[in-house]
Amino acid sequence: MKIEDRLSLLNYKTDKSYEHITINPSICETCPDHFCTFACPAKCYSLIEEKLNFKYEDCVECGTCDVACSHGSVAWNNTKGGHGVKYKYG
Amino acid sequence: MSEFDVIIVGAGPAGASAAIKLAGAGSSVLLVERGDPPGSKNVSGGVLWGDSLGSVAPDWEKAAPMERYVEAKGVSFLTKDSKISIDFRSKKLQERRSGYTVLRTKLDGWLSKKAKDAGAMVASGITVDKLAFKDDRVIGVEQDGDIITSDIVILAEGANPRVAINSGIRERLKDRDVAIGVKEIIKLPEKTINERFNLTSSKMGFASEYVLGFLEGGVKAGGFIYTNKESISLGLVISMKEMRQNNNTRSFDLIEQFKEHPYIAPLIDGGRVDEYSAHMVQEGGLKSVPQLYGNGFMVVGDGAGFSFSNGMVLQGMNYAIASGIAAAESAIKAKIKSNFTMEGLSSYEERLKSSFVLQDLMNFKGIEEVTWSDMIHRGIPNMSEELFLSLFSENGQPKAHMINLLIRAMGHSDVPRKDMVINMYRMLRRM
Repeated sequence: MKIEDRLSLLNYKTDKSYEHITINPSICETCPDHFCTFACPAKCYSLIEEKLNFKYEDCVECGTCDVACSHGSVAWNNTKGGHGVKYKYG
Repeated sequence: MSEFDVIIVGAGPAGASAAIKLAGAGSSVLLVERGDPPGSKNVSGGVLWGDSLGSVAPDWEKAAPMERYVEAKGVSFLTKDSKISIDFRSKKLQERRSGYTVLRTKLDGWLSKKAKDAGAMVASGITVDKLAFKDDRVIGVEQDGDIITSDIVILAEGANPRVAINSGIRERLKDRDVAIGVKEIIKLPEKTINERFNLTSSKMGFASEYVLGFLEGGVKAGGFIYTNKESISLGLVISMKEMRQNNNTRSFDLIEQFKEHPYIAPLIDGGRVDEYSAHMVQEGGLKSVPQLYGNGFMVVGDGAGFSFSNGMVLQGMNYAIASGIAAAESAIKAKIKSNFTMEGLSSYEERLKSSFVLQDLMNFKGIEEVTWSDMIHRGIPNMSEELFLSLFSENGQPKAHMINLLIRAMGHSDVPRKDMVINMYRMLRRM
């Protein structure tokens, strides 16, 4: 099963006005490993034409990327006001 | 004068247990949870081991939304072609009912309701940004610039402790502190689950951990399968350190390799994946435990690094509940003495030290080095496979003695014999 199909099973209340995780593109540009693309279990980080692309909408709020990024690019905050992922089972 | 005696951040098993205990003792409690409803952001494997809940909900075995009690507990080593297992089933395990499989949205929802019934105010869908300080003392929590005050704050925010980090009372997590947990809920009919796992009733459950020595790219991970009433929780715990060293495997791809293993696939055949989830797992042992209390605050549960894993069992919720209750008891004591300083809350650590929470972490100090060792992930699986192939297959040749087979099998382990012996000794000592 593809990760995209697995993510499509999830319910999100997406916060359109607030991105709870932001990255610093200038740091990512020179990143030697892009470990985030391997570690993030929701494939929020991917390389598109060698440029790091990040989407917060699919995030399951595990916090992995904040540990994974050893270059200081990731700024991690909790989602606000009940936004974000909503599990059925957990 | 504070608005509440105690504010608890996070309504998981740790926070909700603390709230039930405190409210039951007459304290005014605010339980703040960012998920709405409570439980909707919480993930576990999950088996709740032990009777920790008994002290806040004596009727939990009957009243709480448990899935199945663990009648069969397994530990397996998987190589590409083989499965080497301990499948422990016992009438005695059945009598003790020491573990129940659970689904956290249900369990945590129930616990939050219990907290509310006990008199706590439960505020869900509200995200605490950080602790509020006055001088060097915590005086409450801050949310969107507003401060809500309390004599004590109990941080029960789970494996990703943003409030503690944002408040400067702990460092950011490092590789050694955590593993990446990914999980699927796979729907299967109750009867099919009973048949496939040899369970004679739908109340009985199966829980097993797997050492996955066969994953492509050689990344180290542990697997788990737990049976719920009408679904299976199947997942992986992947070492962050190993993932980084490896840097060629994606965390979300590994679960497929586990599911496709020749002796796992038949268990879930025909099942429908109904949910995918991910969650960090505390893996650092004692080294990862942060400052546990200070002036006006205590830290409990996953957020305090309380979990236990030795490759054979994986536990967290029991530590969460026990630490939540210990913090509540310390808060009650502090209130009697009107001393909410670090000194006034120091009984929290004493309580933890006299309970299994810190004793397990102290007694098994360094176990994580064994859990993630080459010996566990390659040595034992490969050696056992070779040994049992020699023992259980017949090729018309004279039979060798066990010790010779074992020595020969050790040569197939991919791990130098010297390392095997050293690690074996370490493992026995630490277990």
